[in-house]
Amino acid sequence: MDPALRRRLEGRLGDRMTGPVRQRHDETEIRIGPADVPEVLRALYDEPDLRFRYLADLAGVDTGTAMQVVYHLWSDTTPDWLRVIADGLDRDAPRVPSITFLWKGAEWMEREAFDMFGIVFEGNRDLRRIYMPPDYRSFPLRKDFFLPDDAARSPGAGIRQMERSHSPRDATSTTLVRRSKAG
Amino acid sequence: MALTPERPALDTPAGPERSLVGGDPSAVTTPIVVANGLWSADDPAAYGGGPAGLENAHLAEIERSGAAYRDDARWGALDVIPTKADYLLDLIRMNSLWPLLSGLACCAFEMMSSATSKNDIDRWGMFPFRASPRQADVLIVAGTLTTKMAGPLLRLWEQMPEPKWSVAMGDCTCSGGRYKRSYATIQGIDRIMPVDVYVPGCPPRPEGLIYGMMKLQQLVKARRGQWDERRVGPSVPEGI
Amino acid sequence: MTTRPEAPLPFDIPAHPSNDDPRVTLEEQLGVWEAVPPFPPQTEREAEFYTLRDGEMLINIGPHHPSTHGVLRVVMKINGEQVVDLDPVLGYLHRGVEKIAENADYHQTISHLDPLEYVASLFCEWPAVIAYEKLLDCTVPRRAEYIRVLSGELLRISSHALALGFHALDLGGLTPILYSFIERDEIVEMLAALTGQRMLFNYFRIGGVNGDLNHEFMSRLGDWMSRAVGQVEANMTLLNENEIFVRRNRGLGTMDRETALRMCWSGPNLRATGVPFDLRRAHPYSVYPELDFDIPTREEGDALARFLLRIDEVKQSLRIIDQCLHQMPDGPVMAKLPRLLRPRPGRAFAAIESPRGEYGVYAISDGTDQPFRFRIHDPSFLHLQAFNLLMPGNLIADWMALNASLDPIMGGVDK
Repeated sequence: MDPALRRRLEGRLGDRMTGPVRQRHDETEIRIGPADVPEVLRALYDEPDLRFRYLADLAGVDTGTAMQVVYHLWSDTTPDWLRVIADGLDRDAPRVPSITFLWKGAEWMEREAFDMFGIVFEGNRDLRRIYMPPDYRSFPLRKDFFLPDDAARSPGAGIRQMERSHSPRDATSTTLVRRSKAG
Repeated sequence: MALTPERPALDTPAGPERSLVGGDPSAVTTPIVVANGLWSADDPAAYGGGPAGLENAHLAEIERSGAAYRDDARWGALDVIPTKADYLLDLIRMNSLWPLLSGLACCAFEMMSSATSKNDIDRWGMFPFRASPRQADVLIVAGTLTTKMAGPLLRLWEQMPEPKWSVAMGDCTCSGGRYKRSYATIQGIDRIMPVDVYVPGCPPRPEGLIYGMMKLQQLVKARRGQWDERRVGPSVPEGI
Repeated sequence: MTTRPEAPLPFDIPAHPSNDDPRVTLEEQLGVWEAVPPFPPQTEREAEFYTLRDGEMLINIGPHHPSTHGVLRVVMKINGEQVVDLDPVLGYLHRGVEKIAENADYHQTISHLDPLEYVASLFCEWPAVIAYEKLLDCTVPRRAEYIRVLSGELLRISSHALALGFHALDLGGLTPILYSFIERDEIVEMLAALTGQRMLFNYFRIGGVNGDLNHEFMSRLGDWMSRAVGQVEANMTLLNENEIFVRRNRGLGTMDRETALRMCWSGPNLRATGVPFDLRRAHPYSVYPELDFDIPTREEGDALARFLLRIDEVKQSLRIIDQCLHQMPDGPVMAKLPRLLRPRPGRAFAAIESPRGEYGVYAISDGTDQPFRFRIHDPSFLHLQAFNLLMPGNLIADWMALNASLDPIMGGVDK
């Protein structure tokens, strides 16, 4: 809990923040809109009294009503972690600018957020799936993707046969059958 | 949280407009079930139908005729009578089962621990962990099998020449384990390949794996788990 | 909602109804192989990577390979023996832990974190319990904190020993791995006496640890400390002056400070480039402020520096263990918490220094007994990203050495 950090953030970024600076334990949290992400993070990186040079984490969050991208930063000027929440992404077509121009290491973290949520990072040169196979058809960490009791009955299954159940007990009238175009 | 978890149609990953053409979705029809063709080569596209049209169509022929699965050292119906030569062969095989290095996740470390100095499976002849499947006898699947890795693992299994055995090590390979509800794992490798020995545990202690390997040795010696009798699929009966 | 709206994909999967049976939809056969090169390329980087110039060739290493530290697949573009570019393909061990954790109780998520960095599983549990303790505003008893540090540092020694052993194994040396496994077996048997499990310990609890130190653990620890302290260092310095080892590793994968920070590196890999960033000192947690230890750093940034740095860290860990044993206070090992945990709605982030780097957990609680979002940040994920920068110009065999010196664990990388 660092009140000096709070004052510095409010002074420098007050117009970009969409909510108050929240502090709890050793974390400070600010919220911004998705379009402000490049400027805010560049300001946090460049300002000599902020110097948030270390990106600790980049996460996507699906709150059920909107999507968020959450950045965690560390600086040697403060004992707190800084959490930057880019809130208000549209759940059906989430887009946010990429920060790979600042940290090259964010490229894969953004790929992971795309793979799990479908968040498109504009400016990422390599936005393809990283965990799931490239022909997978769903975004697993979204809140409308439900884990069934048996993954073979997953609603968001990929197209591989092994991602589906094949026992007659599980087949219904709408079983999608995969056959090759043989012959 | 506002979202109510209403279940979408579970078997139509593509949405209703792609699942049925004509027909009444509520009609209970006899389902068409196609056996999983990944490891049998009934699927004609397996060798000859690849994206660029591979040139090993002759392999498809061999696969289809079943010649690949025939062991010429067998005597057909007389197989049921083991001879002294068979006994000796089984003794030889049992005492030098060479595993394939297929450690996928955490269980791999216990497998390696069973191979190193303190619990040494070299005492049973299993020291050389072959890197190439062509030279291996046993496929110890150690670690969670994901759907992405299942393809390569099946390739490895198919590439191993007969006689081969497989050991499902760890809970994840036996039944899915702690990942039973996961969207990306195979819940038990016996869904895609035949398994001879199941070694449960998360991870099983090296002594546990050694016990499993000794059981495999007994299987080899008693000529149970013969490859043409092996069934793929969970061996738990239907009502359970 | 009744159906789930498909999020737009950059490609389409062709499917058409069958001619002979309208109930059956046929898809284009996409086999178990992935087209190399993928066509059409979906991203700029794919197009750049999969465009081959004259003399270049794509080879595939993994996912089943003796030296990939798990299942990692690397598509290499080589010109002769020299690597021109690399495309690592992950996901062969993606088990969906974050999604499973959203459906589990808070206590259950701790055990789900163990198989991530399976050689150092206590470090995977640690940030989660710290984050939950922040959400619950509970304080951990000091004895529990000391036990956490003690078991953590023991596991750090074991993990570094394994890392060094695998480094040698990937270069062809079959002996050091056996020494490493001896160390690991001793330490892991100690921890089994303490936690009940050899590998995926499930020992840390929200508010403390699962059980106090017992006689078996202390006697094994005492034996080990008196006997094997010098042995550990001797084992790991087997290779310090081995000419083949040094020549293969010196100058390999040299990373400079600025690039390492831009790649979000952490841990020994970052400290080997000269940045003295260690979360135990930069953002202290637990009782590390009361312990006296140094942060070893090296300037060169190559594979040999990373190797030597891990040996230095083991020495520091031994110091920490010594101090823990001397300073261990009495008291309870677990805070008093209700059985059914319902933390306040909020967000908490915690990161600790694991043997591989900064291991972070970001937990969002919505007031129920299951976490709303559980995000795991793994350091090896980012170390692997630097292959594209470090490999070009080296030979294929150098990739094994580089991979081993970066010490990734695919369980954590793929979650």
